[in-house]
Amino acid sequence: MEILPILAAAGVVEGLTETASSIKGQFGLQSQLFISQAIGFLIFAGVLYRFAFKPIQSMLDERRNRIIEGEEKLKHIEKQLAESEANTAAAIAKANSEAVRLIDEAKTGAAAFTEQKAQEAIASAQLILTKAEAAAKADRNRLEVELKREFGRLVAQTTTQVTGKILNADDQKRINEDALARVEA
Amino acid sequence: MRFILTTLAFSSIGLVSAFGAGDGGHHGLPMAAPVVFDLGWFKITNSMIAMCAVAAVVIFFAQLATRKVALIPSGLQNFIEYIVESLQSFLAGIMGEELARKTFWFFGSVFLFILTMNWMGLIPGVGTIGWHTTDSHGHAGWLPLIRGANADLNMTLALACIFFVLWIVWSVRANGVGGFLSHIFLYHGEDKGIMKFLLLIIFFLVGILEVISIMIRPVSLTFRLFGNVYAGESLLEMMVYMGGAFGWLTALPFFFLELMVGAIQALVFTLLTAVFTALMCRHDEEEHAH
Repeated sequence: MEILPILAAAGVVEGLTETASSIKGQFGLQSQLFISQAIGFLIFAGVLYRFAFKPIQSMLDERRNRIIEGEEKLKHIEKQLAESEANTAAAIAKANSEAVRLIDEAKTGAAAFTEQKAQEAIASAQLILTKAEAAAKADRNRLEVELKREFGRLVAQTTTQVTGKILNADDQKRINEDALARVEA
Repeated sequence: MRFILTTLAFSSIGLVSAFGAGDGGHHGLPMAAPVVFDLGWFKITNSMIAMCAVAAVVIFFAQLATRKVALIPSGLQNFIEYIVESLQSFLAGIMGEELARKTFWFFGSVFLFILTMNWMGLIPGVGTIGWHTTDSHGHAGWLPLIRGANADLNMTLALACIFFVLWIVWSVRANGVGGFLSHIFLYHGEDKGIMKFLLLIIFFLVGILEVISIMIRPVSLTFRLFGNVYAGESLLEMMVYMGGAFGWLTALPFFFLELMVGAIQALVFTLLTAVFTALMCRHDEEEHAH
């Protein structure tokens, strides 16, 4: 607190005041000019910020964000691509094994089917053969019966014509059986 | 190639400017910016005219560049983006990303302002277009219509004072009033006992020196910028005068020097103010980051 009187006594304060006054006059320092220049610069800074810095900074931020988003998307896409490739490879492998299995099954199925159809064909042929044999046997039997009847009728007719005797049923039966026995022998 | 053409264009402009000054004869650059229009309560100096003209041109181009901002830049937008991005990354290297972004409106503006004002002083007509005057003692003089804005102490002092006020605001906002004072005066080390006591006293005394240093900052910023720009303009004028008929030739090397000085002074002012701000505010940002 005692320093100011000491400085005043030494003429320091007066000297400083005089120097300040001298500088002020020599360099043309004036409060009105100082304030005008300060306001002028602040207006310049404000307008520059409004019309240059702010839109440019916003654009730079937007661009930076887009780049970051792009990078993230790229990573995501790469990840998705890797997953997709893995899925595709797995799907192809699965499809291959499935195809092999189906082919094997088809081969097995085809062999069984072929065997089944062959058996069916054999059975069918056997059936047809049996039926044909039965039919042939039935035809022979029928022909045999008809032949016997015709033979008997012819024997009886011939006997009647040769002997002139009218044969009764027992005679016809006996002659027929005798004739047949001779033919069959 | 573009840089070479630009340099050549500027040099030719400077030659014409220097030659024009030579035609007017040696009249000396006054330290105080002369009042061109006196409206009584409001005076307009030739440096204010220069400031308004350059500010209008810069703002016009800025507006032109950002009128239709496109995601894929081209032309003028590309150029402005290059400047803004370069400046911002430069400041971010000193102050950190967040602080640089918050304070860019000031540092970006002050850099472009000082740079354009300094280079504007090299355009033909600045300091050479004007009229002859006669003072009350009958002495003939020369009153230039435009003068480099940073060759006016009012302008450089205004810039320094605006920064000083903003620096206090940013520092208090970053640290709080207690933190602000603590940052200057208090010892924050881990020592204990007598050592801590001694360091507390030392730090308090250093804090007083720091306050003096802080108070000196606006003065040093003001006179550094003013002195360099004023000296540059005076030097060019002196070289033209000394060269006589070949004044344009004698001024030529100094013209290139002034191109460089103009850019360096803009950078120095911005760099120093950014460093002062970072010293007080950046640690807080780093702590927040942690």
